[in-house]
Formats: sequence, structure tokens, C-alpha cells
Amino acid sequence: MRGLRKYLTPFAPDQSGAVAVLYELGGIVVICDAGGCTGNICGFDEPRWHTTRSAVFSAGLRDMDAILGRDDRLVDELVDAASKIDARFAAIVGTPVPSVIGTDYRALRRMCERRCDLPTITVDTTGMELYDVGASKAYLALFDRFATEAMPVVPGRVGVLGASPLDVDATDAAKLVAVVPGAVCYGMGQGLEAVAEASSAERNLVVSPSGLAAARLLRDRFGTPYVVDDPLAGDLVQGVDVAGRRVLVVHQQVRGASIRRELLARGAAAVTCATWFMQDAELTEPGDVRLSEEDDFAELVAEGGFDVLVGDPTLWRIVGGFDGTTVDVPQFAISGKLGERA
Amino acid sequence: MREARSFTAAELAERGVDNLPDELVSNRHLIYSSPATLAFNSPGAEGFGVKRAGLAIPGSVMLVVAPGCCGRNTSLISDLPGYRDRFFYLTMDETDIVTGRHLRKIPQAVEEVVACLSTSPSVVMICITCVDALLGTDMERVCRKAQERAGVPVRPCYMYALTREGRRPPMVHVRQSLYALLQPLPKRPTSVNLMGFFAPLVDDCELYRYLAALGVRRVREVSRCEDYDEFLQMAEANFNLVLHPEARFAAADLQERLRIPSIELTRLYQIDRIHSQYQALGQVLGTTFDDADDMAAAREALEGFRSRAGRASFAIGECMNGDAFELALALVREGFVVREVFGTLGGENFVFLRRLAQHSPDTRVYSNMEPTMIHYDAASSPVDVAVGKDAAWYHPEAVRLHWNVDVQPYGYAGVRRLYEALADAWDGREVAL
Repeated sequence: MRGLRKYLTPFAPDQSGAVAVLYELGGIVVICDAGGCTGNICGFDEPRWHTTRSAVFSAGLRDMDAILGRDDRLVDELVDAASKIDARFAAIVGTPVPSVIGTDYRALRRMCERRCDLPTITVDTTGMELYDVGASKAYLALFDRFATEAMPVVPGRVGVLGASPLDVDATDAAKLVAVVPGAVCYGMGQGLEAVAEASSAERNLVVSPSGLAAARLLRDRFGTPYVVDDPLAGDLVQGVDVAGRRVLVVHQQVRGASIRRELLARGAAAVTCATWFMQDAELTEPGDVRLSEEDDFAELVAEGGFDVLVGDPTLWRIVGGFDGTTVDVPQFAISGKLGERA
Repeated sequence: MREARSFTAAELAERGVDNLPDELVSNRHLIYSSPATLAFNSPGAEGFGVKRAGLAIPGSVMLVVAPGCCGRNTSLISDLPGYRDRFFYLTMDETDIVTGRHLRKIPQAVEEVVACLSTSPSVVMICITCVDALLGTDMERVCRKAQERAGVPVRPCYMYALTREGRRPPMVHVRQSLYALLQPLPKRPTSVNLMGFFAPLVDDCELYRYLAALGVRRVREVSRCEDYDEFLQMAEANFNLVLHPEARFAAADLQERLRIPSIELTRLYQIDRIHSQYQALGQVLGTTFDDADDMAAAREALEGFRSRAGRASFAIGECMNGDAFELALALVREGFVVREVFGTLGGENFVFLRRLAQHSPDTRVYSNMEPTMIHYDAASSPVDVAVGKDAAWYHPEAVRLHWNVDVQPYGYAGVRRLYEALADAWDGREVAL
């Protein structure tokens, strides 16, 4: 039955993806919810929350706020918070409640900027899309708003887009920075200044589909070229014997495609990539699969004739009868558990 | 330098409950999100929120009908013993919201869930969230349809965070929904229900003995019911003891529907007040409880901790088994110093704040949820001991006691165990409870 899940908990939603992008940037992030979404986002989908303070707030909406559309109260409370906290910007992140009541984010942004003198962005997430959609919207809103000035290009500087704990299964960018000389990893270890200086990158590296839209914006605005690759993917499947074997890789599309290249180079007979998340046409090869329901995955495995499955171990419950090799490459957006391998 | 906003107990007592500063009223500011506020923002993430509470009935399963975001953290619960394979999801999309078609899918989804289980569930709980609160969904009607189709009881539970501060917030409603399954049975004078918690009282709680001495042979708690049939036997109770105010409405429903009267008791850590409460309960029941030994044991544990810690200073949080202000009052009345309370004041606990102000006017009161808590710095207010998961998070330098496990400390046994746990924590030993 469409939409019915018997084995898997829902994956990280769009609002979690948006907050993951904004978390380290030094802004006031207001999640426009009644409280439960904030608990899910921070308490479950944001592993940095337990160790790093960030000005993330719930709007604390109540039924009458929603019924009467009392945006003015939200603005009052944001103004109050802005007077008490040193912040560079404000961001309002959507959830199902504003989605249902049809909140006008553009008006909300204008009201906030008029009242509290902070640049404000809004991300119209709904809680019904997946994390990468929200992350993509947040990157786009950020770079569109703050990366406006063309600066001299700094040779060797590489802007990294699409890296968040939900995508790269780590709470910091140390490993990425170690293998990509000159890397400036937006949203992980870098603040708003790096976003404002995005035009100085010699090129951009996109490590997950959530960074693609922003990379294209920066290409169109400043002429910054981008490449799509996950430089850490090879390490994730080290030691796996795939020679002559048929492999199914299930992950976010960039990591999946990078693993595919690695496995083919090591002699795999064939590698199919599947993803539960965004599937960009630019990165898709014939035979790649977009998954939606648990049954899609079960059928793919049952009919695909694969010898090896690569993906988050949570998925193996769905295909209990599979008698080949499974290789665990965790994805936080699926399991909510850090593998910390990237 | 920016600081977290706080108020002294004396200031607040003088202002009164109807004139609290905006910083201490949660609907007058944004809600800061830190690990100290997780219990507010996501009650289901720890302890018993709606999802876990909704599965209190043995053999039950839950179908969460909601946007994916609402079910995201449920795997935290699924990983707990006894909850694996008990959660299922029917995820909603925008078309569902516009057309309401998800409601038509629920009976089929319930049927498929029941069919995929090796044993038929006792009850299928349908958990719905803020979206359906706004849509005005009649979930009782949907549950009746699902029940007809699947052939098992189907009950709604409402995880409506939007109504958290309303008259019947989600944790009140879920109790009503569970106890609504009870059907009339002949009364047994020797049966009593303890209502309020979703986990049992500590095994050595004196209340069990006191009730036994009164001739009560069956003390039932939903968490101790072995199976659904035993749960249904709760309908035979002579009276209900309500141990948590969130069970008040459920008890009132049972009084009206099954003619089971109820008596409400308060969890306290002040030893003399516990004695008074038992005396009052005895009067209502026409007896006198001999509590001298239990009181002495509680006091002995207290002295055991005092002999180690002397006049220790405390920070008390609200993420623990008790009311932060009542526990703070209990401690200062015993001669300890309470520097800080992290809590939420309201009509029910303001009485403790007033008395706290008399004994310790300089105790500072913070709201975990207030925006300036991002500036909180434990170095400006060091303490020896932090009680509560939130206070422990603020005070990594202190002796820390979370005091928030599922099994509920209560009465003299609760006090005794608290001071024993504090002594263990003070000594650096692992704390059992």
C-alpha cells in the first residue's frame, strides 16, 4: 500500500535538511512549529546539537496562532529574541503547520526585516518532503541572499556544497577538508562570511544532490564551475570483494555514484545505483532506480540478481531473505545513527 | 556580556502567579532548543510521550498517520526493549492534506498491519498529529470504520502539540483514550487502580503495603498488566488512586462511565507532607496508616546523604521524576542550599514557589525555554549537586543525578531512594535509580 511503512521509520524530512545547512552559520533559526518538529530536528536529526550550542528556536505555535494566522506574534517574538542574542541573520523554517494554513513566507520575511533589522531568509519546507529537498532550498536561499558580491578568485579555494551530517555521516568536515586541499565546507566549520565570499572559490565541489541547485546558482551568477564527486566514497567500501559480482548501491545519489566508480574500477561486473532521495538527471545512468516505497526496494532486490548490497544497514530488514553479501555504509538521513566513517 | 535571564524566588512570589514575567511564560517568547528542553519540544524522545504512552496496553501496536517528520524520531522508541515491531507508519503528502484521502486509507492500512503480524494485536492505536488537528479530523469515526474492517479494537491518540497548553493537552488525552477501552464489570471491593504513570511505582513503595493492610488484594497499574485481559480487569476497581494530575480527566471519565470514584494524591519529597497526605488518605478510607518505619527509613537515607555532603548546594531541573519547585522546597527545608531551579511555573506548583521564597528567597528561577538560556554559564553559579537531566546538562562540573528513569519513585520509598541515589552519586558510585 502506498505510503505504508512496516519496517522503516520515516527518513529525515526537509525541515531537518534545512536546519542542518543553517545550524553552524550563526543566525537565529526559527522553526515555525508547535514544538514537536523542533524536538525531532534537534533531538534526532542534528547530532551537533548535543555538543554545540546554536540559536535554534521553536515558534511554539498554539492552535489559536494557527487558526487566526497570528504571524505578528511570531515577528514580535523574533524581534524579542534578536534583541537578546548576537546574530548575523534570521531564518524561518517551515513545517506542516504553516504549510496547512498557507503561511505567506515572503510577507513574513518582509515583516521581520522591517522590525528587527536582521537580514532574514525563509525556507518553505513542509515536513512532507525529504531532507535533501529542504537542504537544497536552504542552500539556495542562503547563497541567493548573501553571496551577491563578485570577489577576486582565490587560487586553490574549493567551495564544498551539500555536506551536512545527514549526507556525509559525520559531525564535522575534518575528513573532507583533509582530502580536498583548499576546501571551504559551507555549513560545517564555516560561518556566514564564507557564504558571502562564495564567489572567491576557484571551483565548487558538490558532494550530495542537495548542493546542486546552489552550485548552479553560483555558476550562473559568478561563473564558478562545479564538479560532482564524493572524495570519501572509496574509503567506505575498502576491502569489499566485488570482482565479477553484481552490486546494488543504495545511498544519496552523489555518494552512490562515487561508490559505483570505485567498485567498477575494482572489477565489479555491474553496479546499479538506487536512491530514496533526489535523483538529478545530470548524474543518473541508465538502469538507476528511484525508490519510494518499501516494496520498491524489496522487488528491486528480489528481481535484480545482485550479489552484493551496499547501503544503510537499516534497510536489510526489508530484504531478510537476501543471501548475498551486505556492506554497511550508513546514512544518517535514513537510520538517524552516525556511522562516523566519512 | 550577555547573561541568561533569571528571577529570585522572592521576586516571583511577590509578583504572583498571574503576573509572571514574560521570560517565564512559554507562549510569550520563542522556545529555545537545547538538550534541556527536549522533554518539552519532543516529549516522545525521552520518557513517555504520546507514542510510547499510546502503547501502554499490552499487545497493542500503533499506526502513525502523519507527515514523515512526525514519525522521524520514533526509532528511538523502537530500539527500546518491548517496542520493536510495534510502530507502523502511513505517511501523508500534500495531496492527502488537501483532499483528506489519507482518512480513507486508514482502514485498509490497519487491515494490512494486522495481517502482517504473527499474532493479532490487542488494540491498534492511530496516532495523528497537528495537521489533523487543523483539519478537524473526526478520528473516532475513522477508528470505528477501521475496527469494523480489521476486527480488532482501534483507538485514536492525538499527538497535537498545538494543544499542549490547552485544557486537554496530548498527555491528558492519551490517558483518556486508553482507559476508554475499559467496559463495565462487577465491582470488587478488593481491587484498586493506580492511575497516572505509564511505568510502575518502585516495587518497594509503601503504598502497596498500605493498601494490602486495608484488605486490597489487587492493585493494578496499566504498566504491570500482563496482557489485554488483565488490563480490562481494571474496570472492576473499587476506586482509583490518581497519582499524576494528567490522569485527572481519565479518572473523571471512569467515574462517570463505570462509577469508579477516585482520590488524587501528589508526589512529594517533603517527608512531613507525605505523612500528612497519608493521614488524609487514611481518613477518607476510614483507617490509619502506620507509616513510622517508612518515615524513619526515608529520614535515615536523608541523614546518610547529609553526613557526606553537609550543606551541599543544588541546582534542580524539571526533567526528573518530581516537581522541581517541590523538590527544591524539600531540600531547603532540610537545610540544603538550592541556588537554582530550572522549571515551569503554573497554578499547581506556585504554592511550592511561595514557600520556597520564605525559606530561600534568593534561589534563582530560570525557564529552560527562554531565549537567553543560550547564554547560560554554569561558571557564574557553580553548585555541588545537579538533579534532573536538564540541570545536569547545565552543570557538567557538579555531582549529577538525572533522576528521570521510567520506574516511578513515590512516597517515602521515593524519598529514601532519592537520598540513597544522591549519596551514591556523591561517592562516585553508579546510580541504580
